[in-house]
Amino acid sequence: MHRLATTLQAPFHWLGQTAMSWSFNAGGLALLTFQVLRNLLPWRWQFDGPETWRNLYRVGVKSFPIVVVTAILVGAIMVIQSGLYIEQYGAYGLLGWGAGYSILREVGPILIGLMFSGRVGANNTAELGTMKVTDQVDALRALAIDPIGYLVMPRFIAMILMMFLLVVIGNFTALIGGAITSQVLLDVNMVLFFQSVIAYVLLDDLLHGLIKAVAFGFAIAIISCHFGLSTSGGAVGVGRAVNASVVGSAIAIFVLDYAITFASL
Amino acid sequence: MSASPDNPGRPAGREPSNFREFLSALGEPILYLTRTFKELVEMFGLTFYYMVRGRTRWRAIFEQLHEVGNRSVIFIAVTLGFLGMILIYQAGYQAEQITGDLQLLGGLFLQLLLREFAPTITAMMIATRVATGMAAQIGSMVVTEQVDALQMCAAPPVDYLVVPRFIATTIMMIVLTIFAVLVSYSAGALTAYFSFGLNVRTFIDLSFIGWFDLILCLSKALAYGMAVPIIACHAGLNVSGGSEGVGRATTNAVVNASLAVVILDFIITSLGYVALSLLPS
Repeated sequence: MHRLATTLQAPFHWLGQTAMSWSFNAGGLALLTFQVLRNLLPWRWQFDGPETWRNLYRVGVKSFPIVVVTAILVGAIMVIQSGLYIEQYGAYGLLGWGAGYSILREVGPILIGLMFSGRVGANNTAELGTMKVTDQVDALRALAIDPIGYLVMPRFIAMILMMFLLVVIGNFTALIGGAITSQVLLDVNMVLFFQSVIAYVLLDDLLHGLIKAVAFGFAIAIISCHFGLSTSGGAVGVGRAVNASVVGSAIAIFVLDYAITFASL
Repeated sequence: MSASPDNPGRPAGREPSNFREFLSALGEPILYLTRTFKELVEMFGLTFYYMVRGRTRWRAIFEQLHEVGNRSVIFIAVTLGFLGMILIYQAGYQAEQITGDLQLLGGLFLQLLLREFAPTITAMMIATRVATGMAAQIGSMVVTEQVDALQMCAAPPVDYLVVPRFIATTIMMIVLTIFAVLVSYSAGALTAYFSFGLNVRTFIDLSFIGWFDLILCLSKALAYGMAVPIIACHAGLNVSGGSEGVGRATTNAVVNASLAVVILDFIITSLGYVALSLLPS
């Protein structure tokens, strides 16, 4: 009898638990965003300088190789994919436009953002989660050091700035990768490819991608810090937090991408 | 790439020259990459060996199928649905400006979805959701010495932990890719209808796709489905150094798995291109 009651309760239990965790995370994210933005006000400007430099190095320089490799391959793939259509119609002059437009606007920021969230966001959550689990965050608080100013702000600034710069670098590397592919695999002259990029790809396309980069950097920073700082339950909890952070970042990337695309066209 | 092997201390009593530093900075990632690649290939072989020789653990496989498949459905639906909306919005806007002809939108979108976006983005999503979970789970088992205990009980970790995950992810990647195509295409059709007033019947256009596209899509899904669990389990089984090691392993798993997806995508796409140019059209 008791067993039947538990079985009947299970879906409600699950529903309530899910709702609770969703509202906890939504509230936590909103609160963290508010605290970070408040810290950005000039008269409350408070963050740790050396920590920021360290994070800029860790976030930017250490992610450089993976972003470059991803970008070269993405450029190559986009050229091959659009090459299939270009060959059908013989419009070789449009190859640079097709590849450049899709890389700059959509594929570049999304894939670099996903890589960035995997490399930097996951790392960040794991680090903050380990600090939280081993009570180091509480220790900071006990020393009257604000965790937002000391832990979150440097990461926030580093991630937004570096995401922007990495997408700039990634865009150009992707175009170079695309040009090499078009020469080697498709037999389309590299010069023609770049001429087509310069002639048809607008500054607007580049800016569109860069706005997305900043938005993704913002989202990844807030989400990874929130899930890191609300970790509980030892090593298993750290793993769970990393998982939740990466999943949340991926959803945020696609939703923000849609919102920005919709708003700007 | 994510090559961050722990720096062993310099041999004592030798002054490092700039040239030597340069060489070691150059060689270290290469050594790390070749070692990792060798270990991955070994593990792949071992997995196949135990799949043929070992006992099939249906219960574990079904658990993993649920974990990988059912629990990813909503996530895949959200991300791929948004992807379909974004792509149709961009493409429709361009088509409206340049030619004003939206007839081809649906057919070409389906072709591009099958060839590129559905398998690759699905695999990236699985790499983020499932690979982190696997690496964290196996990693904390390693840290708490449960894997050693397994080995003591004469249950090789590859047989006991990797094989069910491998089988489940391979199956579910194919299923989820098909699901992703459907979701993304329906989201695109709705976007085309509401944003550009394109009739859904005009949008659903199967005349562009052929066997080539289907084979390319499924072979990509199969390759990613085999690569992602091996990389994730490898990262998990090689954890060292307590709970910080688990964090590092999850990061490694997601980065290496996503990178593997992009590299495999490049290889299969170029092979497909070569095959298509060899085929008589």
